[in-house]
Amino acid sequence: MEYYADIAIQIMFLMMLALSLNLLVGYTGETSMAQAAFYGIGAYTVGLLTMPVAVAGLEIATSSGVAGGAGWPFWPAVLISILVSAAVASAISIPALSRVRGEFLILMTLAFQLVTTQLMGSLTSITGGTFGLTPIPPMTFFGQSLIKPSQVVIVVGIATVLTFVFCYRLGESPFGRVLKGIREQETAVRAVGKGTVLPKVIVFGVAAGVAGLAGALNASYYQVAAPQSFNLDVSILAIAVVILGGVANPVGTVVAAILLGLLNPVLDALVGAEASAWRGVIYGLALVLVMRYRPQGLVPEHQGPLRFLRRRRRRNAPAVAAAATTRAPRDGAPDATPGAPGAVPSGPAPEVVLKVEGMSKSFGGIKAVSDATFDLTRGQITALVGPNGAGKTTLFNLITNAITPDQGAVTLNGTSITGLSISEIARRGMARSFQDGRLFERLSAIDNVAMAIPDQRAENPFILTVRPLYVKKRERAVRQSALECLQLVGMHADAETLVADLSYGDQKLVAIARLIATGADVLLLDEPTSGVDPSAVEHVIDVISDLRAAGKTICLVEHSVHMVERLADRAVFLDQGRVLAMGSMKELMARQDLKEIYFGA
Amino acid sequence: MHLISAAGASPSLVLQLVVSGVVLGSFYALLGMSVSVIYSTTKVFHFAHAFVYTAAAYVALGTASVLGLPIVLAIVIGLIAAVVLGVTIELVVYRSMRRSGASSLGIFLASLGISIAGPNLIQIIFGPDGRNLPVGNPTLYTVGTVTFTTWDIVTVVVSWVLIGGVLAMRRSRWGLASIAVSANRELSAAVGISPQKIYVYAFAVGSLLIGSAAILFTLNQAATPNMGLQPVLFGFIATFLAGVGNQKTAPLAGFVLGMVVSLSGIWLSQTFQTAVIFGLLFVALIVRPQGIFRKAAV
Repeated sequence: MEYYADIAIQIMFLMMLALSLNLLVGYTGETSMAQAAFYGIGAYTVGLLTMPVAVAGLEIATSSGVAGGAGWPFWPAVLISILVSAAVASAISIPALSRVRGEFLILMTLAFQLVTTQLMGSLTSITGGTFGLTPIPPMTFFGQSLIKPSQVVIVVGIATVLTFVFCYRLGESPFGRVLKGIREQETAVRAVGKGTVLPKVIVFGVAAGVAGLAGALNASYYQVAAPQSFNLDVSILAIAVVILGGVANPVGTVVAAILLGLLNPVLDALVGAEASAWRGVIYGLALVLVMRYRPQGLVPEHQGPLRFLRRRRRRNAPAVAAAATTRAPRDGAPDATPGAPGAVPSGPAPEVVLKVEGMSKSFGGIKAVSDATFDLTRGQITALVGPNGAGKTTLFNLITNAITPDQGAVTLNGTSITGLSISEIARRGMARSFQDGRLFERLSAIDNVAMAIPDQRAENPFILTVRPLYVKKRERAVRQSALECLQLVGMHADAETLVADLSYGDQKLVAIARLIATGADVLLLDEPTSGVDPSAVEHVIDVISDLRAAGKTICLVEHSVHMVERLADRAVFLDQGRVLAMGSMKELMARQDLKEIYFGA
Repeated sequence: MHLISAAGASPSLVLQLVVSGVVLGSFYALLGMSVSVIYSTTKVFHFAHAFVYTAAAYVALGTASVLGLPIVLAIVIGLIAAVVLGVTIELVVYRSMRRSGASSLGIFLASLGISIAGPNLIQIIFGPDGRNLPVGNPTLYTVGTVTFTTWDIVTVVVSWVLIGGVLAMRRSRWGLASIAVSANRELSAAVGISPQKIYVYAFAVGSLLIGSAAILFTLNQAATPNMGLQPVLFGFIATFLAGVGNQKTAPLAGFVLGMVVSLSGIWLSQTFQTAVIFGLLFVALIVRPQGIFRKAAV
């Protein structure tokens, strides 16, 4: 009995650790090699806090004479352990997480893991050295000290269930959606006006906090905290559990933790002393094979019993407002545009919304854009035209500061936005699409669009925890708006389809819906019809002219002269990074010199 | 225990630490070069490099002590094993994963799996205890108050000869082709360079270097199954500190790393070496001018 309870406890510790790591690896797509270090920090913290003050004969007194233990009761100490782990994690992660390259985080956490294990072993005066900090008082529950595994298993079981629910809910919340967006396309999350560093730092801290909780329980159960329980091997074991189980799926993590956790007693019985080495071989190979042949893991992201429940509930929740039938004819009602703060009435004198002045950028010796000056008029469609390599997309990148210009100024609605980040620019009312879509492929169409809806307080993990009902209500509204945006482009029937499963043309439409959802007044569309089959092109053209009718200011990069002629009120002709001419497409195409540049002499 | 030694370090200690810094720095430079050759060209976070390192040492000492082959031959076999292993990992694991559209994170995780399975397999075969390469004891040289051994000289010379060789090869057809591939894979393929071949070449060269580093290490110290982790971590840190994709400066960064670690011995005990390197990485990540300073300069 006690034997089995002990095995169950071990498995549950692994489960908690892996569930916490899944928030990072699975949902956010960032790999931490230091999860065991935060597990350990939780363990040592609870140990130092709960051990009695100055126990005779125990070598935990530091050279400065400070007693090792603080003599705290168990649960307050657990709380502090969680906080300490989370705080340390956030602090070390900031410099690594502010880089786009995930490798920085791997390297940083790897180094941190090794340093932490080493310090646990060598700072003898605080940690007890290689043999560990001991004896740590057992955990208490309603005033009772729990020592027997059969008692502890209940507390650890409750903690595991809570961890599961917490991680699951966090992952499926609006905050989780942002995390998944970061995993899929970090730049696109920024482009719809959201910061990505803060969510990453927060989730890193939260994951470490959960690991800290597991560590605190671990130390109180074994009554010892020793370096080898929290070393790199443990971190990697947790990674293996997450990967084998399936990323971004807590159910998979639970299954894999049970499988890998059961390896221990089985191998102990089979090979005895060499059990740990065999275990390493087995989960190492399993990692290779899974990544090679089944990268989605045992229980893939969009599967499992819980997902099924969620889907069904969702299906009857946000009823599609109006005609939820076909996508062909849409009523181009201007005020149907959601999230557009004060759609501008048509009529008054042309008003300059965006001013681009003297924009220049060189790459090495090549002037990609030089001294480009033009502006966008409210409620008009302006097309950037010119031959391949004229600098059209680069100009988009410069305007939105995706690439830092060498020179030049951008003014939006009279205020300078030069040098602002792409997410800040989006929040101020100018958003862009990407030539290659940059959709969040493993998210449904509606989640893609919902990501772009501004001012989502429910994305704040704190509000998420303290005001679940508010979040639920707000999320329903967000989904409704997202659905309306999809409806504008005629994609509402596919709202629940994963974007990866949509045709290329449909993906482009979802991208436009996402752009609309930002509520931005100025939309920069980068080749909205490239790669879209001809029948769907008409549809895209309709959507874009509807947007103009709704008062949006649009700038588009487009190759098809035909489309520009039909859509654009005005065209800016670029060649070799310079603005050669402006005017209607007809006027421009009437000029022989431009025509030659455009079509080649 | 005391963590911090007396502040006024003697000049002879400093001199000794400088000399060990040169040795350690040369070794780290070799590690940095090795990781950089692979990483800058293929962008694979080749964590299994740690296994290649371990394998080189164990194959060499296995053939020498178990089969009783002459030591030089055993070392050559160890190096060949490293190259074969590195290239095999690329061909069997990474290439097929790349074909099936795996993300770089996915490839890293597979690599991580290899780096776990491999050393544990070695532990099952050879046992967990340290094993020495039967090379005998080196000669001890004393110049003034500074001492060093034959192996120290060998380490410095071999490291820089290998690094020099790789850097010189950058001017060759292969070298230029790999620079092209690392700059733009698609475009290189379009002008007739096969990225596949270049990748194999990068893994072969990188594995040869890391294998050499492993042999140099085992001249001095015992080989253990998880000996590969730390050197590969240091190699990666050197690569990232130098700036990703900058092969020429990676050995330099490695050298500085070794020097700093050694000189930190004036104040810190040896157990804090990793902490020093971590601190360097941490600080460098914060203050490294990546765009920020460039923008300010305009």
